[in-house]
Amino acid sequence: MNDTFLLSAIIFLPAVGALLLSALDSKAVDAIRMFSLGITIATFALTLMLWSKFDYEATGIQMHVAYEWIPTWNIFYRLGFDGISLPLIILTSFVSMLACVASWSINKLHKGYFILFLLLETGMLGVFLSLDFFLFFVFWEVMLLPMYFLIGVWGGPRKEYAAIKFFLYTLAGGVLMLIAMLMLYFASGGTTESFNLIELAKAASGAADAKLTSTLSGSMQVTAFVLLFIGFAIKLPAFPVHTWLPDAHVEAPTPISMILAGVLLKLGGYGIIRIAFPLCPYGAAQAAYFVVAIGVISLIYGAFAALAQTDFKRMVAYSSVSHMGYVLIGLGVWKIVDSATINANMWLMGINGAMFQMVAHGVSSAGMFFMVGVIYDRVHHRDLNKFGGLMGRMPLYSGLAAGLFFAGLGLPGLCGFIGEIFVVLSAWNYSPMLAIVSASGVILTAGYILWALQRVYLGAEYTGPHSEDITPINAREATVGGILLAFAIFLGVYPAVVFNVMKKSTSELVTSMQAGYAKAEGTVTAGDEAAAGETQEEAAVLSEPKNDDIPPAQVQQQEAVDSLDSQLVRFDQAVP
Amino acid sequence: MVGETLKFWLMIAWLLPLAGFAVEIFFGFYSKNPRGSKAAAWMAVACIGIGFLCSANALRIWGNANEWCVLESHDTHGEHAEGEDGHGEEAHEHKAADENSHDEHAVSATDHDAEKTGQTAYSGEIYRLATFGSLTIAMDYYIDSLTLVMFTMVTFIATCIHLFAIGYMSDELVDDYVDHFAHTADGKHVHRPGRFYRFFAFLSLFCFAMLGLVLAGNIFQVFIFWELVGICSFLLIGFYTERKSASNAANKAFIMNRIGDFGFLIGLMVLWTFFGTFRFGDTAQDNVVTEQGLFSMVHRDAESHDFMTDADGEVLITDPSGHVLKDEAGKARTIPYFLLVIAGLGVFAGCVGKSAQFPLQTWLPDAMEGPTPVSALVHSATMVAAGVYLAGRFFPMFAHEVLLTIAYTGCITLFIAATIAVVATDIKKVLAYSTISQLGYMMLGIGVFGWAAGLFHLITHAFFKSLMFLCSGSVIHGCHHEQEMPKMGGLLKKMPITALTMLIGVFAISGFPMLFGLHFSGFHSKDAIVASALAFVIANPIHYLLFVIPLLTAGITAFYMFRLWFFTFWGAPRDQHVHDHAHESPWIMAAPLVILAVPAWLCAYGGESGFLYGMLTGDEPAHLATGVTAAGKIVLPSHHEIHQVHGDAGVLALLAAFSGALIAYILYGTTLVNVEAMKKQMSIVHGFLTNKWHFDDLYDALFMRPAHKVAAFCAWIDKTIFDTILHGLAKAMIVIANWDRMFDEKFVDGFVNLVGDATQSVGSSLKVVQTGKLRQYVMFIVLGVVALFAVVFSTFPG
Repeated sequence: MNDTFLLSAIIFLPAVGALLLSALDSKAVDAIRMFSLGITIATFALTLMLWSKFDYEATGIQMHVAYEWIPTWNIFYRLGFDGISLPLIILTSFVSMLACVASWSINKLHKGYFILFLLLETGMLGVFLSLDFFLFFVFWEVMLLPMYFLIGVWGGPRKEYAAIKFFLYTLAGGVLMLIAMLMLYFASGGTTESFNLIELAKAASGAADAKLTSTLSGSMQVTAFVLLFIGFAIKLPAFPVHTWLPDAHVEAPTPISMILAGVLLKLGGYGIIRIAFPLCPYGAAQAAYFVVAIGVISLIYGAFAALAQTDFKRMVAYSSVSHMGYVLIGLGVWKIVDSATINANMWLMGINGAMFQMVAHGVSSAGMFFMVGVIYDRVHHRDLNKFGGLMGRMPLYSGLAAGLFFAGLGLPGLCGFIGEIFVVLSAWNYSPMLAIVSASGVILTAGYILWALQRVYLGAEYTGPHSEDITPINAREATVGGILLAFAIFLGVYPAVVFNVMKKSTSELVTSMQAGYAKAEGTVTAGDEAAAGETQEEAAVLSEPKNDDIPPAQVQQQEAVDSLDSQLVRFDQAVP
Repeated sequence: MVGETLKFWLMIAWLLPLAGFAVEIFFGFYSKNPRGSKAAAWMAVACIGIGFLCSANALRIWGNANEWCVLESHDTHGEHAEGEDGHGEEAHEHKAADENSHDEHAVSATDHDAEKTGQTAYSGEIYRLATFGSLTIAMDYYIDSLTLVMFTMVTFIATCIHLFAIGYMSDELVDDYVDHFAHTADGKHVHRPGRFYRFFAFLSLFCFAMLGLVLAGNIFQVFIFWELVGICSFLLIGFYTERKSASNAANKAFIMNRIGDFGFLIGLMVLWTFFGTFRFGDTAQDNVVTEQGLFSMVHRDAESHDFMTDADGEVLITDPSGHVLKDEAGKARTIPYFLLVIAGLGVFAGCVGKSAQFPLQTWLPDAMEGPTPVSALVHSATMVAAGVYLAGRFFPMFAHEVLLTIAYTGCITLFIAATIAVVATDIKKVLAYSTISQLGYMMLGIGVFGWAAGLFHLITHAFFKSLMFLCSGSVIHGCHHEQEMPKMGGLLKKMPITALTMLIGVFAISGFPMLFGLHFSGFHSKDAIVASALAFVIANPIHYLLFVIPLLTAGITAFYMFRLWFFTFWGAPRDQHVHDHAHESPWIMAAPLVILAVPAWLCAYGGESGFLYGMLTGDEPAHLATGVTAAGKIVLPSHHEIHQVHGDAGVLALLAAFSGALIAYILYGTTLVNVEAMKKQMSIVHGFLTNKWHFDDLYDALFMRPAHKVAAFCAWIDKTIFDTILHGLAKAMIVIANWDRMFDEKFVDGFVNLVGDATQSVGSSLKVVQTGKLRQYVMFIVLGVVALFAVVFSTFPG
């Protein structure tokens, strides 16, 4: 199977499925479900095939294919993947498949639902596979519409509000991304490669084989980074642009919550690591503290907010905010002192931890939302104070749920632990203070998860309405929960399966970003030196020696010493 | 080769319970008759029993490989100790004469340790979790004599407790279990299916986690299993999920532990950042070190035996042979001294949580909500001792300040817990506080440089405390779930086996000697701790409390333990109903008591020249023998100094214990004193103690309520601030849109309409001239032409 076909098939198989689905009779509900499930399983199989073709030893993009799409604007149909996108691609098709099984609980307008569902999957996979900035942007926006309708039509009581909130937030982020995209396009000369994410990254890092030269100055890089970062942080979501998430989750139907938490949030992190970081290394370095601080605030704030919730699903939604904070912390722990990266391996560890956290959260949060959905389908409420005693009524369900919630809690041996702990361990090198605050998250997380578990599953009896509707978990639900829990355990016990995939790509990222920073720093200091030179000449009148060859830091020191000297001289003169 | 063999056996012992867990939980759930079958229990017993055999075999292999040389070396030690024990006064007279021989011995011990290094400790990798450049995190193993002793102890005790639990939990073997302590809203007891198999599955999982913790070859891995034993403890404390008190206690235990783990994490971060590894020992292949561990990265000075530092006082990081390592820039790698202290304190914070030390001690008494076998296994013998184990394992990295903190933490804990135990009336609560207090002794021992003493007490305590907990379980079972001692009394005749084995435990914990050298195990281990404390205090008189309080508490310990025994088994029955229905437990419960009573009494046979002590100290850190005397810091006593005071300390401790036991006898064994009246007279103190020094209230006010306040505040910010801003923006948009619409409709459209209207009206007004009369048109043309000419000529004249 040739590369173009395989990659395109992964993206468009769900879309083709959606097209075929529209030909089916809308009353044949079971046929619609089974057909959609078949499509998602086939897509999952294709992504596994992609994995089997993955070369662990290769650096850079694999299966790079490019075709002209809109030549006038140098827009290409450019696809490919590497160790960073592969885990997320597989996660996407995996979660989509399970969400499709979970979609059996959808009870109206089945045909429309599954058509939109499949289109959504196309959008998500397209984002992870596209390497052309414009194509990326197109897929990014393509995801929005199905999601809008899926929440807005099949959602809960306040579905319209949640849908429009989600839509506007993401769209606002998209606009900022568009601005940054155009900045980068024109700064690199608007040539045929100017939307090529790989070439843009190479230009930024000053690689020898770069086909582009970027004229983006240091400060413009910072601007571009901030624009991109806000766009992606909304999706992540990070404090303070996270408020769409609880509403969207609470109103969305269960399978859509699974997709939302399992995949869509990862797009934010992926955008940062694929676009914002490599394209603006200097900006990233400048904003690193800001990124980490936002991560820490999200982490703690989300955990506290989760502790205060009484709505089960809202609590899980805030736990997502909290957990995605780790992603930002891990990505941002790039310590630079005197223009040199300190302990680059620690940063590498942080990035790997952040990536792992995304995958792990994809499994555990999808599981948690599914578990909330299972009980919601029975008793039709989510008030944490009106549950209790489910352990006795639904033992298998409670066992699976406890396992998945423990995964969210970051219990060792389950997937949540590895990402969190690696991120936290890498943080001390960057900033002990932030590291300590982020480590305190373990207490809060344990607090809100255990408290919720106690209120829902433990206790003498169920205290809420519809007690008679509580039936043991059925085979379909047990399958979804069981598979997710099995993966949570597998990833927690043998995380190397993910780290091995990411190894080459993440170290390449770390090296190229350091090079990019050095390059931009060079131009910035060259400017500074010119400026410094001017003042120097003025100063030189007063004092020797001339320091042309001394690096800027020393120049500043020298200046300080000089001015101190001259002050002392004046002081001497003043004293009779 | 020996390392591989040891790894093989211990891995089997470690992984069997995990396999057992998987089988028990699944087959238990899916089997046709899960409620009536004891299959799960026997499977769990088989797993852990085989594990014990494997561990014992590994111990044998280790001993053979080292020709039991460790023990021989300590025999000389022992003779000195014995000599001092037996002839305390004589030893004093000959102190000066002994000095020389002691010194010689100290030197030989050091030599011996140096020679032994790399021979008795085996470490290596099981599998790798992740690699980041030069950084590696893996699952490792580290096997030395301490590991082997711990393995054997844990598997042995666990086997006994599993057996006991088959009897104790047998009332769960029904389809309709009535839980008398859980009530539904209408006040009825909760009915539920029995959960026999689940209990044993959790026990198996716990054994797996606990053994993993002991086998762990790096501190990160310790953290992993640290949390896993924590969650097993959570599951087992909350086993009676229907009881609110049980689930509260489970949550409390886990969260309190997480607070300690927060400190642990900070310690890990510091170690990771500066050392770049978590391994304990060096991994060598063909005598070449391939992976260096933490222990060899800090080197000790040959003279003072303190950490080697550079000119700025930063601790140097070295390779195994003591050469300073360089970083990328070619500078010497160092770690600031205060960060090494923080790392040590952080790791110790984890130990504080796990071992229920002050100020995180409050969870352990509540943890007694779990079934009694759990209390015996998890909350006295093994898991809570893991904190002490880790403090011992990580000992080479502890700086002076850390040791002093450990000592004082232990000292405060042992006193507070012992005072509360004096007034507790629930039989399990007394034992729980006693556990906390004894763990405090162990910590104290480690803190005052009595490393071996602390770990020695860990092992002896594990035996006698698990025995006592099982005895209490037997009492509770026999009295039909009555736990209040005031309702017992006179049970000696009803349950003689339980009473006598319990008495052995009481003697052991009080540290009583016995004829023919058959001293109770606690006698040896507590003496060792008190002796270490005395030597420490002699070297650093300002810390005198570290000796006085433990000594005093030795008396209190004997008091509350004898109080418990007299209360329960002696005198006249206080509650006739309970007494009438009490019965001795069946053989499956009684047999483990008898089995455990043997090591509880005799495991420390021979004291510091005995087998157990020798095994424990086989791999003790080298600087212990010589002591540490760094300028400007507290002095850490050498073995020699400790041995010198051993006799005195032993006599004092014995006096304290005897007087405590005597007072207990007078108060509770006889009717000479009216205890109730005494209680009333000292009601303030009594109230303070029964309220557990008000720690729970304090923490509730200090942490729980503020946390919920902050949480509510965060939720409020989200709802009120962010969403209000957002809604404000949205409303502003709508207002703007309305303006826009108005502008469009009124202004733009108005203008367009105006133009349109004007055109139309002009058109309609012009339509009157459209007459169709030819002459009129010709006249318009002529007039037009004339006007045009007039305009042209007037504009361009000439």
